[in-house]
Amino acid sequence: MTTLDPRPAPTTTARLLAGAHPGGAVGLAEHRDLHGAPAPLDRAALEALCRETGLRGRGGAGFPVATKLAATPGGRRTHVVVNGSESEPASHKDRTLMRHAPHLVLDGVAVVARALGTDRTSLVVHDPAAAHAIRAALAERSDLSLRVELTPASFVAGEARSVTSTLSGGAAVPGGRRVLPSESGVDGRPTFLSNAETFAAIGLHACRGRVPSDGAEDGTTLATLWGDVDRVGVLEIVHGTPLDDLTARPGRPVLVGGYHGTWVRSDGLTVDRDALRAAGATWGAGVVAVLPEATCPLGEVARVAHWLAQQSARQCGPCTFGLPAIAADLDALVQGDVTAAERLTRRTATVRGRGACAHPDGATRFVDTALAVLHDDLALHRHGGCGRPVLGVLPVPHPEEGHR
Amino acid sequence: MSRTPTIDWTRCDGHGLCAQLLPGTTLDEWSFPVLPPDGTVTEQDARAAVLACPALALRLERAQNKAS
Repeated sequence: MTTLDPRPAPTTTARLLAGAHPGGAVGLAEHRDLHGAPAPLDRAALEALCRETGLRGRGGAGFPVATKLAATPGGRRTHVVVNGSESEPASHKDRTLMRHAPHLVLDGVAVVARALGTDRTSLVVHDPAAAHAIRAALAERSDLSLRVELTPASFVAGEARSVTSTLSGGAAVPGGRRVLPSESGVDGRPTFLSNAETFAAIGLHACRGRVPSDGAEDGTTLATLWGDVDRVGVLEIVHGTPLDDLTARPGRPVLVGGYHGTWVRSDGLTVDRDALRAAGATWGAGVVAVLPEATCPLGEVARVAHWLAQQSARQCGPCTFGLPAIAADLDALVQGDVTAAERLTRRTATVRGRGACAHPDGATRFVDTALAVLHDDLALHRHGGCGRPVLGVLPVPHPEEGHR
Repeated sequence: MSRTPTIDWTRCDGHGLCAQLLPGTTLDEWSFPVLPPDGTVTEQDARAAVLACPALALRLERAQNKAS
């Protein structure tokens, strides 16, 4: 299995990770030296800032933050929740951010809470080192009484409605009704929930002031790079960077977004959430993985598909039964069973969209786009296999870590 | 405002009654229902299926936004 350098990559464009040093977190004094203090924004000013900077949620769905803010009623009953659970196993950007720049995340929380007129704030996190850094940063400041909650590692536990269920004292699984957190979140109250990087971006924009934008998303975002790349680890990149610049091997199949993401050919694609969506892909959790020549691509996909099947919360039939069947079909394809391809296509279509959360949709997107992009490798397996071992370039947690 | 049958997947156990009561509904290979496209069943048929669901998994809901 590939190992990841836990330190953020040194880069000249760092904003979110500005000042980050390998040893630990940027302290409050240093943070204020770097960024200043966030402007005290009222609700209208914060919405305008988020709209004008084109800010999208950084967790996966990429929903416009200004729209989400506008949909959340303000007031003392409203909750503000930072989702720092980062349950996507190939993503390390949120824990890196919280470990190294916790005050930027906390600035974002303070800004949103003030604008919404509430002091009910929570942060959920799975990584103990990130939780420690956030708590240490909280001890340095008095403007927040943030509840920090450690959450389970399972993939589905990081889903927004699993998080609000956990914070309401329930199980870390999404409920059966698709209700938006802005309507009914923590304890059934209106909740503004977003990913840790979203809050850091809000904090950054509030500190720096309004930056003119031409509609495209302003500034930088965090990515986690795997496989045939210059450096396996977390990198801060400017929006609009070509995907080919991130990979050491342009033209090879690239996984973008994570294990709910899409396999693409990188040609012509850039780090732009809207443009990627228009191309049928998703920036998702900011994962970019390029498989080296030495590993069996189909075997890598099958290995992740088995993990995705294990991660089903087993609440919903099509996901519970469908994802293991899909993983078994992938094994059969790896073994050269030509009948498996048709079965697999039928099963992914059957499972898609039929669950309480997006896990079946994301898992089948991962599999379907892999089959579309890896057709050369599929042909090799149809004629006896590609002869390469499965190296485990795509990280899969050990079962004991991955289960609730 | 027309309402459409919706499955709460956390409740559905695949009893299959809806497939007999709701025209156009089929069962997948694990015997979980595949509903017909929105707007193709009458509210009367849908209500009968909702009332018959032993797991209380089938509901009538207004077409809602799916944004997260």
